[in-house]
Amino acid sequence: MEQRPPTLRSVAWLCLAIAVAVLVVGFRQAIFLTPTDAAQGDVGRIFYYHVPIAMLSLLFPYLNCAGSLAYLFWRSRDPLKALTADAFALASAEVAVVYSSICLITGMIWGRVAWNIWWTWDARLTSMLLLWLLYVSYLMLRKFSATGQSQTLAAVLGIFAAVDVPIVYMSIRWWRTQHPAPVFGGGANSGMDKSMLPAFFWNLAGWAIWGVLIFLFRFALERRRQLAQQEAALRAIEASLEIPQ
Amino acid sequence: MNYLRHIFDHLHKDLRLEWRSRDSINGMLFFALLVVVIFGLAFDPTSYPTTTRQIAGGILWVALLFASITALNQSWTRELRNQVLEAQRMAPSPASALFLGKVISNMLFVLVVEIVLGPIFIVFFNLHVLGNIWLLILILPLGTWALVVNGTFFAALGLRARNRELLLPLLLLPISLPALLAMVQATTGVLTAELDPIQINTWIKQLAGYDIIFTTICVLLFETVLNAE
Amino acid sequence: MTWKSFFDTSTMAHRHLLAAYAVVLIVQGGYFGWIAWNWFRTKSGRY
Repeated sequence: MEQRPPTLRSVAWLCLAIAVAVLVVGFRQAIFLTPTDAAQGDVGRIFYYHVPIAMLSLLFPYLNCAGSLAYLFWRSRDPLKALTADAFALASAEVAVVYSSICLITGMIWGRVAWNIWWTWDARLTSMLLLWLLYVSYLMLRKFSATGQSQTLAAVLGIFAAVDVPIVYMSIRWWRTQHPAPVFGGGANSGMDKSMLPAFFWNLAGWAIWGVLIFLFRFALERRRQLAQQEAALRAIEASLEIPQ
Repeated sequence: MNYLRHIFDHLHKDLRLEWRSRDSINGMLFFALLVVVIFGLAFDPTSYPTTTRQIAGGILWVALLFASITALNQSWTRELRNQVLEAQRMAPSPASALFLGKVISNMLFVLVVEIVLGPIFIVFFNLHVLGNIWLLILILPLGTWALVVNGTFFAALGLRARNRELLLPLLLLPISLPALLAMVQATTGVLTAELDPIQINTWIKQLAGYDIIFTTICVLLFETVLNAE
Repeated sequence: MTWKSFFDTSTMAHRHLLAAYAVVLIVQGGYFGWIAWNWFRTKSGRY
């Protein structure tokens, strides 16, 4: 691998600056410019962080699925491409966990003050919790399985998880319409006032750019690790051959 | 003092090994969380608060029981690698020191899981404790010790068995039933405030008595189990 | 809302708002920091 081209570095720094700038604008919109919500008061401003992040957390599981499928496809055909796909899958799983954790925690904080309960087993929350559990278990499998196997096993689990996500969503929704229970938020997207839109879209854009950025950063880190490992293995083999290089 | 020194050395070794990978604690935590989620889906806690309070004690202890079983087997398997167990047998220090060191380390891990699990439990089940919550600080460690002391002993007992992982729950659950009864009743009594304090105290005393009796028996018999061939 | 009222911790609502935003920034920033720390810890590919 040649020296990482300096342009890529500058582009990365530029994207980081753009992401931070958009987020700062979003923060300003959400906190200072949007008028206070009549029903919820100031605490309703949590909406502008909670909802975009919740929506984005549904994106990364699909990236993981794509990466896992690509890994299994290339595993016997082109091992180097397979390695890249594996790094892609791992990075997207980690970012999925980060985003859904934030969604759950901010949701609980908001629910406590707005509806006086930390948690309820309604459709949306339960589905998000199960999504979180699925991808945490993916990361645990990665950590616990024997090296050599872990990539293949994780790819298989990633496919299971991705197939499970819509099934979980449908089944939980069916369960909750059978026995109605308290619902958080009552359709947060259904009645957005025009004054809320700028803050919402700035934050959505900001967290989306940030999400893609840290995903790519994590992906790059994983590739760096993989290449360092390959390099070490190559050196070990060369040393054992005792052929001067 | 020498005996305590041995126990401390064994404890230190186990804590250090666990700190390096944190496998056991992470595994236990995630497992207990999953059990809580499954029971949450099964019983719909937010719609039936009274029922939830009545069964929450049982669910907590079932979650902890199964979480600790997953970690107990693993605590001995690390002695099997590199023939460490043979070295332990040949060491001049008393075998019971090894046992107590392991029990204390397992106890600490399960206590950490409990400390994290408690608030999660309260959040997910929307529990409002009706009784004296400080009693739980007494009940939880006593109950945990009962599970862990017997669990560590039986995990060592089944170390050479063929179906080692299966054997532990089969042996542990029947022996622990009196302790489980006491800890679940005491916990439920505190949560629902349906038992008066004298009854809860009786359960706590029974639990403490169980702990003392079985700790003594385990310490006395561990040497036999370690050297059984 | 103003900076002053944002950092005002007198009511539960304000504390929770502040806590929610803090959690988001801490978790995202923490994750970014963890990646960056590991980036400098791993030796690069081949130079």
